[in-house]
Amino acid sequence: MRDIVVVREVAFPREMVWGALTDSRQLGSWLMPNDFAPKMGHRFTFQTKPAPGFDGVVRCEVLELRAPERVAFTWRGGPLDTVVSFDLEEVPGGTRITLRHAGFAGVRNLVPRIVMGFGWRSLLARKLVGHLAGVDHGA
Amino acid sequence: MSRVSPDQDPFRAIADANRRRMLDHMLAGERTVGELAGLLGIAQPSVSQHMAVLRLAGLVDERPEGRRTFYAVRAAELRGVADWIAKYEAFWGERLDALEAHLAQQRQ
Repeated sequence: MRDIVVVREVAFPREMVWGALTDSRQLGSWLMPNDFAPKMGHRFTFQTKPAPGFDGVVRCEVLELRAPERVAFTWRGGPLDTVVSFDLEEVPGGTRITLRHAGFAGVRNLVPRIVMGFGWRSLLARKLVGHLAGVDHGA
Repeated sequence: MSRVSPDQDPFRAIADANRRRMLDHMLAGERTVGELAGLLGIAQPSVSQHMAVLRLAGLVDERPEGRRTFYAVRAAELRGVADWIAKYEAFWGERLDALEAHLAQQRQ
């Protein structure tokens, strides 16, 4: 199981990045239209295009808010019940942003097992065929 | 893009933890509803209901044998989910590009 983690260093001060993450209007201009408010427990939504299995609404709740270091909120939409967090660290010349999208456990666990399961099956089939061919040659 | 009714949507079908556990068990081999009920510790009628959702979504095949019906996973259908998560990864990369562009604009 693996979370989605994206790390990005930007040449902007941390306070400025924090503003872009926690001001509803700014958040809307680079992420999605929303009614976010920087308050613990605040429930809000992001609005995007609907897709099969997804009505286009991401339902969120602010879980953590530690200015100007960390903000985390739930991210529920389509088959997902996940958590998104941003960590901001000051680095020389700017800010390191660590985005983590966590909680794919159920879905993620299943998919590799399906792919691997089938990989194994065909591998075994090939090995068996090879083995039988070898036996045949040896005989 | 083809229209998919909610009932046939594989994403909705796997949104439920019990259905994911059923699929997980069926990956190991064919199962009957009774076997799955025992493995999951839930009532047979619930397993039957969940199985109906999985069948509608095209995620399982059924094979009657005598008085029993065996169910197995159709893996190809589920691979779409892996693609979907990969798209989310790309989504965040693009959004952070947009954030950087936004910050550059703010500074001007």
